Amino acid sequence: MKTATKRQTVLWSVVALTGVFAVGLGVTLAQAQPPEAKAPPKKLTGAELYAINCNRCHPERYPTEFTASQWKTIMLEMRIRANIPAKQANEILKYLQEDAGGN
Amino acid sequence: MFTMKKPTRILSTAAACYILGLALPQTAAAVSDDDFNALKSTVEKMSQQMQDFQKTHQSDQQQIQDLQQKLGETQSLATNAVEKADAVALAQANPPRSALHNFTMVGDAEVQYGQAKGQFGTFSLADFAPIFLFRANDNILFEAGFDITLQNGQATGTTAQDNSYTHDSGSSTSVSMSFAQLDYLINDYATSVSGYMLLPLGTYSERGAGWLNKIPDSPLPVDFLPGAGVGTQLRGGVPVGESGQSISYAAYVVNGPSSTDGTANATTFDGDGNTVPNLDLGGNVGIQNSGNNANLNSQPSFGGRLGWFFPLKPHTDVELGVSGQSGHWSGSYLWSALVFDAAIHITPNFEIKGEYINTWQETSDLGSIQPNGWYVQTSYKLAGLDLDAPIVNDLELVERYDYANNALGSTSDRFTTGVIYYITNTLLLEGDYEWYKNRGLNAAGLPVSQFIVQLSYGF
Repeated sequence: MKTATKRQTVLWSVVALTGVFAVGLGVTLAQAQPPEAKAPPKKLTGAELYAINCNRCHPERYPTEFTASQWKTIMLEMRIRANIPAKQANEILKYLQEDAGGN
Repeated sequence: MFTMKKPTRILSTAAACYILGLALPQTAAAVSDDDFNALKSTVEKMSQQMQDFQKTHQSDQQQIQDLQQKLGETQSLATNAVEKADAVALAQANPPRSALHNFTMVGDAEVQYGQAKGQFGTFSLADFAPIFLFRANDNILFEAGFDITLQNGQATGTTAQDNSYTHDSGSSTSVSMSFAQLDYLINDYATSVSGYMLLPLGTYSERGAGWLNKIPDSPLPVDFLPGAGVGTQLRGGVPVGESGQSISYAAYVVNGPSSTDGTANATTFDGDGNTVPNLDLGGNVGIQNSGNNANLNSQPSFGGRLGWFFPLKPHTDVELGVSGQSGHWSGSYLWSALVFDAAIHITPNFEIKGEYINTWQETSDLGSIQPNGWYVQTSYKLAGLDLDAPIVNDLELVERYDYANNALGSTSDRFTTGVIYYITNTLLLEGDYEWYKNRGLNAAGLPVSQFIVQLSYGF
């Protein structure tokens, strides 16, 4: 009996997870743009690196939320915590400091 | 002869002088009044002109003095301007710093309302978790995180009826240190971390803060892993190409887990007499009750993580990781862990991530046991539907399934479904319902299904 209940719970969980996964993935792929002709690789901007590295763990913060000095400290921590390569972290820091908030 | 001519010449000269003498006075006396007046007028004009010239000269002198004074003032202003410009340049090069210029506080705070099945609903301050960052210079950072929570106190009094009093009373505040580590950036590819460190066993321990975790509580199997440990670590990220791809690594040595009761038995008893796992994942911090510095084990534990992050474009990426730890937990008995983690993002709106955790614990009474579990969590932001509905666009659906087997006769699986409303980018209102299924010998003591609403703020 317990085994049957467990199977039922797992089944419903898998169905629900699959449902959200399928809907989300389906909508996302449907909205995706067709692949363009392969362009030569370009150097990523600080804004692009910010979008690449930061959003995978948390909602993006606005540059104005911290001062330039605070961003320097925070990016030092994030570089270590998220293992962001140094040059990428520096580009992200420049991007954040450009529009950093005042004191 | 000669004598006769000399007087003659003398006389001739005298006569000429006489005649001239008569003639000259007659010439002087010939200047008329008109001539004199004209001459006088000329002299007066010349005198007037001379006075005018003197006045002009005096005026010119005054103008020259004024100009010289103005020139001096201008030079002074120019000098001050240069000095000010130099001061500004100096100030820009060395901006004024307050005592707290490189001190920053970040973190998160949570407030919950929860109702577990069969119990009263209640509000609770779930957590206030500040992280203090101090940047000594470009290469040195000290960071420390704390968890401050409020909970009911346990009464110690007695009642007249039965001399027992078990009702909660009063409140107590608990402050626990989540981590406190000193980071030194050796170069672009290596950072030394020392102290009480968050351990990179999987990704949850380092990315599980309240406002990062989209569900109010932690996945069940992460309880099988130590979240932090005292030791030292070398870690870093190495870029691969120019697309943002990177390989990350971490290698560490820590004191490792220990035994609650000092034996290598699989279980022990808590203060209420309940059977609980004997493995102590959170202790062994280096300083014993006696004050002596000593590891509770004969050897430290070693561990690490290797990760691969592959972004296809901003907000669309894959991350895979494998991590593990091994060392003595009691005497020569080993405790080891192996964790696989994975995360996929497709656009800013869709995420799926999960971990598989397996641990091995050698015990003196049950042999080798394997507490293990896994979880998978998926979420979708409705902003991806491109609906013209502001509130809907601020919603995110989230689901999680997690499973844990403690290898001591109990298993739990849980399904959680919820929704997040992003009031701002860092202020989240989360509502979830969790269906628990607990089985085994100690199932009665495990959590039950519950409804949770949480307000979470990241700062």
